Amino acid sequence: MAAALPAPRWLPAAAALLWACCGLAATDGIQDQAEQFFRSGHTNNWAVLVCTSRFWFNYRHVANTLSVYRSVKRLGIPDSHIVLMLADDMACNPRNPKPATVFSHKNMELNVYGDDVEVDYRSYEVTVENFLRVLTGRIPPSTPRSKRLLSDDRSNILIYMTGHGGNGFLKFQDSEEITNVELADAFEQMWQKRRYNELLFIIDTCQGASMYERFYSPNIMALASSQVGEDSLSHQPDLGIGVHLMDRYTFYVLEFLEEIHPASQTNMNDLFQVCPRSLCVSTPGHRTDLFHRDPQNVLITDFFGSVRKVEITTQTVALDPNLVGLETRVPSDEMATEPLKYAEQLPVAQIIHQKPKQKDWHPPGGFILGLWALIIMVFFKTYGIKHMKYIF
Amino acid sequence: MAAPLVLGILVAVTVRAVLYRSSLAGFISERVEVASPLNAWKRVVEGLALLDLGVSPYSGDVFHETPLIIYLFHFLIEYSELVFMITDVLTAVALYLAVQDFNKVVFKKQKLLMELDQYASDVAELIRTPMEMHYIPLKVALFYLLNPYTVMSCVAKSTCAINNTVIAFFILTTIKGSTLLSAIFLALATYQSLYPLTLFAPALLYLLQRQFIPVKLKSKGFWLYTTQYAALYLCSLVVIVCLSFFLLNSWDFIPSVYGFILSVPDLTPNIGLFWYFFAEMFEHFSLFFVCVFQINVFFYTIPLAVKLKEHPIFFLFVQLAIISIFKSYPTVGDVALYMAFLPLWSHLYRFLRNIFILSCVLIVCSLLFPVLWHLWIYAGSANSNFYYAITLTFNVGQILLISDYFYAFLRREYYLTHGLYLTRKDGTEAMLVLK
Repeated sequence: MAAALPAPRWLPAAAALLWACCGLAATDGIQDQAEQFFRSGHTNNWAVLVCTSRFWFNYRHVANTLSVYRSVKRLGIPDSHIVLMLADDMACNPRNPKPATVFSHKNMELNVYGDDVEVDYRSYEVTVENFLRVLTGRIPPSTPRSKRLLSDDRSNILIYMTGHGGNGFLKFQDSEEITNVELADAFEQMWQKRRYNELLFIIDTCQGASMYERFYSPNIMALASSQVGEDSLSHQPDLGIGVHLMDRYTFYVLEFLEEIHPASQTNMNDLFQVCPRSLCVSTPGHRTDLFHRDPQNVLITDFFGSVRKVEITTQTVALDPNLVGLETRVPSDEMATEPLKYAEQLPVAQIIHQKPKQKDWHPPGGFILGLWALIIMVFFKTYGIKHMKYIF
Repeated sequence: MAAPLVLGILVAVTVRAVLYRSSLAGFISERVEVASPLNAWKRVVEGLALLDLGVSPYSGDVFHETPLIIYLFHFLIEYSELVFMITDVLTAVALYLAVQDFNKVVFKKQKLLMELDQYASDVAELIRTPMEMHYIPLKVALFYLLNPYTVMSCVAKSTCAINNTVIAFFILTTIKGSTLLSAIFLALATYQSLYPLTLFAPALLYLLQRQFIPVKLKSKGFWLYTTQYAALYLCSLVVIVCLSFFLLNSWDFIPSVYGFILSVPDLTPNIGLFWYFFAEMFEHFSLFFVCVFQINVFFYTIPLAVKLKEHPIFFLFVQLAIISIFKSYPTVGDVALYMAFLPLWSHLYRFLRNIFILSCVLIVCSLLFPVLWHLWIYAGSANSNFYYAITLTFNVGQILLISDYFYAFLRREYYLTHGLYLTRKDGTEAMLVLK
């Protein structure tokens, strides 16, 4: 009974074909995956986190920003890709009973200040002008790298703003405002300069939804903590520190983000459900009409994390030859001008040996004559003409 | 009397010379109480340097002196210390001679009134005797020379000393009775700083008294003399201003000097009342308040002239004091000038009510000025309010001093004509109250 069924003649061929197909499929899969590097949305992540209010009683805004900062760092975006703008220093504020800490939970459960906070724009540097310059890239050449948003057209940018706001504006530093029109124009400038691939804008202020009403550039998704006409409320005061520690919306967002890990597949729809009205008192809003992908397919880590999936393969991958390689153009020889040495720029020898100018001012002769004539006239009028003979 | 005066002058000159050579000279010349934007020595040097460079010294906001000062210092700038010491000595000598003559006038008038039986019967202790008046001129000269304010003003080389000299000569010529010279020196004083214009009234009253012309509005002699004096004064002023035009061939000096004095654009702190107010005033109110403040100087002339018709030199003293309190950029040099006159009224001592507290206020405030300046500018632990508080207190002290002397003077006059021991109709003692 051990006689093997004679294999059908087509089996090896089929097997070979199948294997080839599999191999091809596998190669295609690798190819796909490899090309996914170039077809999928972004290659790098940036975050711009802005807290716009100063003074001790706005502790919660700094705590908000630092919570998002912490989550974003934890999920993989490095400090070099985060622009953190804090308008005031709560950790070292003289009114802080626990110096060098910023808590986000009462009973001091979570210190979001930590050991390695890198604030890029601090205190009075957080102005509307600086914020817009960071976004649009129009920054003076002397600005250090840590203060720049060096994004490109494959960057996914997370922009988080918190502070005090109103219908159509956000207040900076208690002295100036940025309007929703300005913000929309800034984003349009970013789009036209190809400074982002996709942009997630989160705002936690009163009437926050008004800030995203005017956006008109593609690939922007926006979330806000409250609708127009509603106030965003703060979460819990800490009696030991004496101020409110967090705003409700960001508190629940932070809670939500604490469960995200770098490989999680949670998508944006879950983020939209964070903080329903029962918890937040205000109605969070979102705007996805400008976004070309379905929020269902957008991962949280697309914006909050900066993870690359790495798979090691022994196969070679043929890259598309149509990808144009950048030819480094050798710059043509410019006229090499010899740099002037410092001392030679000033004609020192000339200056040292310059004689002082001899121009001196003398009172005009007419004046002297007139003055002394008057004096002599008065003298003789007073003392009589009889003294004349003693003079002449 | 010449010998003690010469001794006093020598002492004063020595003190000044010593201070010039010490390190305090630099410190004092920077004090804002002593050098104001109008009369700082630094600005004179700057103006002359600008002139040497071929630029009008009045361009820019540096130089606010009159062209005659330019002429004076153009030749004397290397001997500036000597010039200021000489001006101080001249002022003291002029005051000495003026007060000597004035004492004679006072004594003559007193004798006249006694013979006319104008005085009440029991005022013997109020009558002044030549014995007690003998040392007053010396005291006046020494008060001026050795006053710390004058010394500081001289060491700082502020041209306030020159202003004081001109005013002292004006007083001397007025008391001597020479119409022409008095008008000329008054014109010079007005030309230097605008405010001596108000001294026209007391000088006129004194000269009228001297000529025995009664001050009646209907009298022809009064108007004749007044127009004569006013014409002399105005003509000499016009001549001096026109002469200054010929120095630099421009009218630049008028807005730079008089416009500056009147419109107070520079708000450097000083011991006056203007700077703090105008530092915090809105633009659209500043014109109104400048007018209000400036009127303060000129406003008291007419009422005082009405009240002090018979006593023009006292009127002069009060007017001088009002000028140095309410002028736009006062310095301690101005204060020193009217304080030099205080020995003239030493017979009023028994009627002065607040003299102890006032002298304490003035001394303490003068000492606190540099302290609070240091705290404000250098230590940063005070602010301008502190310094202005001391300024205010100092000026209030000065005003109270003047009003105290005014009260004492009027009270003495009342007692002279009504008797020392006042009784009411029913015989009980009455109190004299200044209403």
